[in-house]
Amino acid sequence: MSQSGLPPLTGAVRDLAHEVVSALRGGGHLAGSTALADDELGLAAVRVLGADVLLPATLAGYSLSPERVAAFRTATLAFPAAPGAAPVTAWSHWGMRRALRTLSGPDEDPALPDTGEPGASWLHSLPWQRFTHQLAVLGALALPGLPSEVATTAALRPVDLARGFVRAVRRRDWLQAAGAARWLALLDGVPDTLGLDTGLDFVLLMSDDDPRVALQAHAARHIRDERLLDEGLRA
Amino acid sequence: MTSTRLIHGVGLRALEWLHARRDGFRLEPDADPEVGLMDRFKPIGELAVICGVIFREGVAGSRQSQLARQLLDHVWRDTLDGGRMLVEGARTEPISPIPFEVYLPFRELGYEQPDIERATRLNHRLGSWSAVEVLPVRRLGLSAFQRRFGLRPEPGVDEATARTWLARTPEPWTVEGHIAYDITHTVFHLTDWGERPDRLPPHIAGYLADWLPVWLDDWLELRRWDLLGELLVVDACLPRPTFDEAAWEGFAAAQQPDGAMPALREMPEGEPDDLFDLVYHPTLVAAFASALALSRSLSALTPEPS
Repeated sequence: MSQSGLPPLTGAVRDLAHEVVSALRGGGHLAGSTALADDELGLAAVRVLGADVLLPATLAGYSLSPERVAAFRTATLAFPAAPGAAPVTAWSHWGMRRALRTLSGPDEDPALPDTGEPGASWLHSLPWQRFTHQLAVLGALALPGLPSEVATTAALRPVDLARGFVRAVRRRDWLQAAGAARWLALLDGVPDTLGLDTGLDFVLLMSDDDPRVALQAHAARHIRDERLLDEGLRA
Repeated sequence: MTSTRLIHGVGLRALEWLHARRDGFRLEPDADPEVGLMDRFKPIGELAVICGVIFREGVAGSRQSQLARQLLDHVWRDTLDGGRMLVEGARTEPISPIPFEVYLPFRELGYEQPDIERATRLNHRLGSWSAVEVLPVRRLGLSAFQRRFGLRPEPGVDEATARTWLARTPEPWTVEGHIAYDITHTVFHLTDWGERPDRLPPHIAGYLADWLPVWLDDWLELRRWDLLGELLVVDACLPRPTFDEAAWEGFAAAQQPDGAMPALREMPEGEPDDLFDLVYHPTLVAAFASALALSRSLSALTPEPS
């Protein structure tokens, strides 16, 4: 699928997001079969979506081809987070390295050593509006079983994130709304009155099938469904 | 924390503007019968409610109290002709609840008009009065006013409350302008215009504590001052008001040097009467929000008896 009239990188990111969504929704059959474009544009698109490129495997447990994982590794190496980079850039890169380690096993990759978490102190003092914005940008870190200081901080402020979701919907910032919803799907303590399930459908409907929004929204729904299933099994 | 000086200043300036332009509270006795007299009663009733709040809360300075009393005397004596214009309205539209709604706050402040009371008691016995089809929030307002008058409301306040949007605590991201006004007025009626914050049912108070900060943020950014002012009143009706600093500062900055508060964005232009009609309501709301927030913030400073 090509997106006419869009800047090339935007189009490439949308194509890649569309492919991830199809894999998530279609049982994973596409996930491992399509090669990642390893030209400059393709690698840059991978860097924009970050760890979410591997979502069919990291969230849904589908297997990916070694070529795909290798191309992801190439993108991770090609766009490191510069020293002094913005926290969201550093965390996004941390998420990519972390996803690679999850898929390639416990052996250390000498080119991508484990440098630890970048630190999340910048989040603590942010008002709920900015807090939600930053968390939504880091939606790729909202995964069950992926502990991080960002996730720990998010878990302390579910009402603030819920407020940020409402604000994003009111402002028609569907990408931010979907990113916030993905964290909310993961957290305890979200007010029931938020209406997250219908909210997710509303965001999908209103965003005109923007693949980047759909990626976050479908990830959110996947996380939520698994949680509900777990709770149902425990009950 | 928003300064009490800022909150106080907004209210005083608003009242000075309303006092200086009190002739704007006017009737149109020769109005086309199809349009009716009732439209122009609304601002007068709202003025009486807000002056009642100012007297009740007792936090206004002596200047404000004096302005409020002079305003009330003026509209009761001169505009309403000692209440006789309300009787005239009731003769024209016997079943309309408007003369009663405008009368009640005056009655609570010591003004009297026996003919309106007779009409109210008769209307209360009519099946039509409780059957007339109005929005749930308005029905709640009528029931609350009947209770305050000393009548047994039909439907009861609890039943009327249950039918409102707010009582059902729906998805907060669906709130747009009309729903937001339904929310603010439901809170006004439930708390008797801020007199009884404890009458807010806990599930509604909790819902508002969660979502009011978003709506304040939203309508501050949209610069819809009339609605923002009403939401600041709602904040002051909560068990733990936030006195949202950004919202109060934005609201105060929108007020004109002479005290007028535009309804949205910038101050409009126009002939004096037209201008009055455009901005009297947000200016009244500013006086209301100021009186209630000031009262709540001062009582928050008072140490609990040990």
